[in-house]
Amino acid sequence: MSAVALPISAARARAPWRREWQLALPLGLFFAAFVFFPLLLLGYVSLHAEPTLQQHSLAQYVKFFGDSFNWRVLGNTLLLGLQVTLVALVIGYPVAYLYSVSGRRVQQLLIFLVLLPLLTSAVVRTFAWIVILGRQGIINNALLEWGVIEAPLRLLYTPWAVTIALAQIELALMVLPLITALGHIDPNLAHASRALGAGRWQTFFQVTLPLSTPGLLAGCLLVFAAAVSAFVTQTLVGGGQQLFMPFYIYQQAVQVNDYPFAATIAMALLLSVLAIVTAVNILGRRSKGFVHG
Amino acid sequence: MKRDLATPMLAGAAARPAGLGSGTPLLLDGITHRYGSAVAVNNVSLVIAPGELVALLGPSGCGKTTLLRIIAGLLRQTDGHVKIDECVVDALPPNERGAGIVFQNYALFPHMTVEQNLGYGLRARSAPRGQIVETVDRMLRLVKMEALRNRFPRELSGGQQQRVALARTLAVAPRVLLLDEPFAALDKNLRLDMQIEVKRIQRELSITTIMVTHDQEEALSMADRVAVMDGGRVEQFAPPESIYDRPESLFVARFIGTANLVPGQLRMGASGASFAPTVGGYLSLSVARPCSRSGAAVLSVRPEHWLLMPASADEGLAATVRMVLPLGPTVVNELELADGTPIKVTTVRTATGERLQPGEAVRIGLAPHAAVAVFQG
Repeated sequence: MSAVALPISAARARAPWRREWQLALPLGLFFAAFVFFPLLLLGYVSLHAEPTLQQHSLAQYVKFFGDSFNWRVLGNTLLLGLQVTLVALVIGYPVAYLYSVSGRRVQQLLIFLVLLPLLTSAVVRTFAWIVILGRQGIINNALLEWGVIEAPLRLLYTPWAVTIALAQIELALMVLPLITALGHIDPNLAHASRALGAGRWQTFFQVTLPLSTPGLLAGCLLVFAAAVSAFVTQTLVGGGQQLFMPFYIYQQAVQVNDYPFAATIAMALLLSVLAIVTAVNILGRRSKGFVHG
Repeated sequence: MKRDLATPMLAGAAARPAGLGSGTPLLLDGITHRYGSAVAVNNVSLVIAPGELVALLGPSGCGKTTLLRIIAGLLRQTDGHVKIDECVVDALPPNERGAGIVFQNYALFPHMTVEQNLGYGLRARSAPRGQIVETVDRMLRLVKMEALRNRFPRELSGGQQQRVALARTLAVAPRVLLLDEPFAALDKNLRLDMQIEVKRIQRELSITTIMVTHDQEEALSMADRVAVMDGGRVEQFAPPESIYDRPESLFVARFIGTANLVPGQLRMGASGASFAPTVGGYLSLSVARPCSRSGAAVLSVRPEHWLLMPASADEGLAATVRMVLPLGPTVVNELELADGTPIKVTTVRTATGERLQPGEAVRIGLAPHAAVAVFQG
């Protein structure tokens, strides 16, 4: 089964239609109670005109989409997701490729290194980045020590800091599906390509890359979805210099106490991400058929 | 470098009419390959003539596939040289050797159609569009796949996939064609058709071909010469008849066909050679080879080279019939010598249907002009 279906596989698993479906019941009930019901509630709350939840109306949506500020926040958030995805792809693909051509021992080491960050919480990893990027941080201290710079650089609280930190934190989500996809490619295909006269790069772009598309799309979706909603990292590494949707939701809900508007922002983010995921999945379904020829 | 080699190959492909190719000689000189401390290929030297079809035959793990990958350039040998057309190609990557390989699982590109697969090699060499179209058409005709040009590999049967794999390799006009267990994935009926097909194409293009196989019938029926390999070494490199009739080692005798092995003493006398089995009796040999020194020896006799005689005969060896298996035109008789050594004797089934009965005592001798082999015991 291709990794591309990963985010929505539970809903699509094709089990024999007898009694086995009951095995999915606990998870189904859990999802219904703690995911679908809250989402419905969120949608319901967003359809109210004022925080006291008395009048049904689309006023919040009119308010959200009528203000270019909100569009900018949404655009910034999606752009951040795109940047993080691209950085994670550029860093992650070579690692996954290296894994697919390495011997057992190197593979074990690589998978350990890839999984290691997942064993600590995102909060801890975010603080590690603050230690690295801060004014008194590792990078600034090292550069000052070597005399490369005179005064500490401003690294933390910049847009790039958020992108780089998120890319590192979500890297495993990119690498793991890619490893799966690359592992499914018959190594003889690359040999055949080479023997037919193609060079290494030609072989990569004509054979390996197209055949790893399902894993690539799955990895991109996971990283994208994780990056646009990474509240802690966006907030702590970004330092409030840029406003992203998750913090915007938090602000409206907890600080301003405007639950209907917060719910509307959440719905806007949710629907945008859903639209992108759906589009990429349709794209992915076309490439999927090639994997198991 | 790449351009230099690719261009003449392409020019040759376009200019050379099918059937008039001259073929390319291939030379393996002392090839040795080690995986860590294990020796996979041990000092193999073969001289392969232009246009010849050679089979590398042996049990799994004998080093035949490793040797093929070395020739293809997918693996760099530890020692020795590969010469294609008198040129040492050891340092050349696969794409510059002019060796085309067809993999056991065909390795067709699953995301490309038949046509795109066939054109891949020429596109990789940046051949002009017109030439690609022309070559792809010619290859589709060669393997009779014109009707399926727009199919994807997953929409093809095993035999069709193999045709495409072969055509894809031939499209770049390789100087040497390498086939890795080409028929292993096909069912029995299709296998024979494809063997004939491949042989026809190989003859038509007169392309020097090396085929790896563990199937002795396939090797003996298709190849001009067979290299029998065991433990990384070539045990014998000879035409199929010689491999079968005059095995040069005990391994070859046992691996190819069925061999009845009889331990005993070889005696070389003035009047000729004779063999005295340990169980008693006496067999005179027209020629003793490959071992021709008196002493302990093992005699290898093919089942069809025994002669069945009545128990009252005064020559040959005494044996008892254990089982009789009629196999269509022939009958396989399972005998046993006095010491329990099993002996298989095949005879032509007679019209009367008369045959030996289990438990019957007989004597067996060598048929006139029997091809036997003697090995040092």
